Amino acid sequence: MKYLKQVLTVTLWEYRRFFKPKNELLGIAVMIVVFFLVYFIGKYAASAEEEKTSLTISETLDVKLTSLLSQEFELNKIYENQKDNYIKQISNNQEDVLLWNDNAGFVLYSYKKPQAFKKLNKILNKYNQTRAMEEIKLSQENLQHVLKPVSIAEKYFEETSGRKVLVYFFAGLMILAVVLSFAYQFTAITGEKQLKITEQIVSAIKPQVWMDGKILGITLTGLSSLITYSIISILGGLLFFQFTDVPLKYIFQVLHAPSIIIFLMFALMSVLMWNSLLAAIASVITDPNNSGKSSLMLLPVLFVVITLVISPQNKLAVFLSWFPLTSATAMPMRWVVGNVDLWQLAGSFILLTATFYLLRKLAAKVFRVSILMSGKEPTWGEIIKLAKEA
Amino acid sequence: MNNTLSENILEVNSLNKRYKNIHAVKDISFSLEQGDVFAFLGPNGAGKTTTLRMLLDIIKPDSGNIQWNVNGNAGSVPPSENIGYLPEERGLYIDVPIIKSLLYMAAIRGMDPAIAKKAAMEWLEKFELADRAKEKLQVLSKGNQQKIQFIASIIHKPAFAILDEPFSGLDPINQEKFIEYIRDLNLQGTTILLSAHQMPLVEKIAKKVFLINQGQKIFCGKLSDLYKDFDKQQVLNISFNSNVNEDRLKLLPEVENINWVNPQEVKITFKSGVNLNNALSELIKIDSINNISSHNPDLHDIFLNLVKNHKL
Repeated sequence: MKYLKQVLTVTLWEYRRFFKPKNELLGIAVMIVVFFLVYFIGKYAASAEEEKTSLTISETLDVKLTSLLSQEFELNKIYENQKDNYIKQISNNQEDVLLWNDNAGFVLYSYKKPQAFKKLNKILNKYNQTRAMEEIKLSQENLQHVLKPVSIAEKYFEETSGRKVLVYFFAGLMILAVVLSFAYQFTAITGEKQLKITEQIVSAIKPQVWMDGKILGITLTGLSSLITYSIISILGGLLFFQFTDVPLKYIFQVLHAPSIIIFLMFALMSVLMWNSLLAAIASVITDPNNSGKSSLMLLPVLFVVITLVISPQNKLAVFLSWFPLTSATAMPMRWVVGNVDLWQLAGSFILLTATFYLLRKLAAKVFRVSILMSGKEPTWGEIIKLAKEA
Repeated sequence: MNNTLSENILEVNSLNKRYKNIHAVKDISFSLEQGDVFAFLGPNGAGKTTTLRMLLDIIKPDSGNIQWNVNGNAGSVPPSENIGYLPEERGLYIDVPIIKSLLYMAAIRGMDPAIAKKAAMEWLEKFELADRAKEKLQVLSKGNQQKIQFIASIIHKPAFAILDEPFSGLDPINQEKFIEYIRDLNLQGTTILLSAHQMPLVEKIAKKVFLINQGQKIFCGKLSDLYKDFDKQQVLNISFNSNVNEDRLKLLPEVENINWVNPQEVKITFKSGVNLNNALSELIKIDSINNISSHNPDLHDIFLNLVKNHKL
């Protein structure tokens, strides 16, 4: 009872120290401003693209091609005897683009590759295709018949595409939670060591109590930030659907209760496990600016990279779905694809939980050892030796 | 044995701690009774902080036994809600309002939040810092930060308080105030174990002392007994006309110990029962004397004598 009360006290202290609603709101405000800036800049760029660029062609160019080009370009026409002079002027007037058609094909004259090259290429291909069809006397209907893709009626007993979306959604949230925790945990532990608060605290509570409180408090802080951002994202999403007329039922189709429960369990345990690992690493760092051990704090990057590149069908995924540092994303992904038995799901979760349990114990031992080595950062050898004695 | 245990709030037997090749604490034993003010004295690196950390179960002894008996709770680990600790290495959350830091420290010692707030404000009033309760610690002067640290360690009215160097960083006025606060705390029933270097201050409040040097006990007992051991010794403060050669002073058979005030002034402790007339006539031969004063050895003199003459 005393243990729980003390852990709760430390948890709430850490949570209140790091979770600042005012700062969260400020972050969201900045996010909204950035979103609108990106939106308006994108819109401006799109409208700028809609303006027709000018293109010079031969007065005698085929009427059909001229008609196609006129839909996308502002056309100027010149006679053949003007061509050479026009080409000479291109170096002076760098915006000029000349499209010429001779017997060998099309030639494009421009000071540098024009931005509208792709658009022009598409029109010319379409024009060439039409001409080829006319030459072999192939009607438009017949061509479409030839190119028609094969029809596959999809009738599955279980729909997984929506659940895949959920997996990626939770993986994304987990990455965010681990990255946020990384910053908080680092500050919480190394900061207190530098402020020399540790000795007074461990005279009142056991290092294990303090470490457990920190891990829970920082996890709670990370999850709170996550919930804040999730709510904002959902509200933004609803607003998006409101304006785009996409039915909300697409969202509800994705929501699969058993999947959500499994993902939440794995996600929560994984964040706790990562926080314990980060706490153990932060405990051996005395001076974050000069410690060689600080680079170990980049371990979560490995988790992020693996999460992003993992393919649930891959054989490596079987190993990663059991390996505690990656199982929280790999196992749900495999489960969604449908090649995982329930015992595997349970086994992986138990292994993840056991790893969290042992890492929090290790973090407390390492912490106890390192706080007493005031001023001097312990070597790995010393940590292992003293942790065994502790 | 059981009878003794029930009277002692803390009993330490044959405590040992080694760090690699250093025997930091060698077979030390002592005990504290309820209501004691016990001074733990020794030079830097003598093993004081290591001993205090072992008492608080922050580090484990290699051998020996620690027995606490606080408010009926007996065991080798101190009950945290009844223990206060002011570590030598000071530190609190500098970016958090003072009152919040104090309430957190009280909460982890199991104190009720409402009672803790009342106690915190009372102590802040006492230290004339009540109007700064909501400020962050980092804006306070070093001396005032020291006061907050002190409050944090005793806010929960512990039955036993360990104060490691409570006077360091304080000006003389605040040192005197701290003596009063420690005395008040003791009068309210808190047993005090303090480690300090300021002997004149320790003399004012300590009832018992433990002198430690290089991990070993050199004296443990009542302060009055310590004075009694040295009351036959005389200390002379002698000011010579010019710089004096220490080797010549050391040759005098009556001299127990020499402490230099400056190159011309020396504090000499003489062996018990020696004839001072003989000694003085020898001293005059060394150099002419400007000034001379005599007094009984104080704790500072005794401490220096014991440490200097301590044979391992």
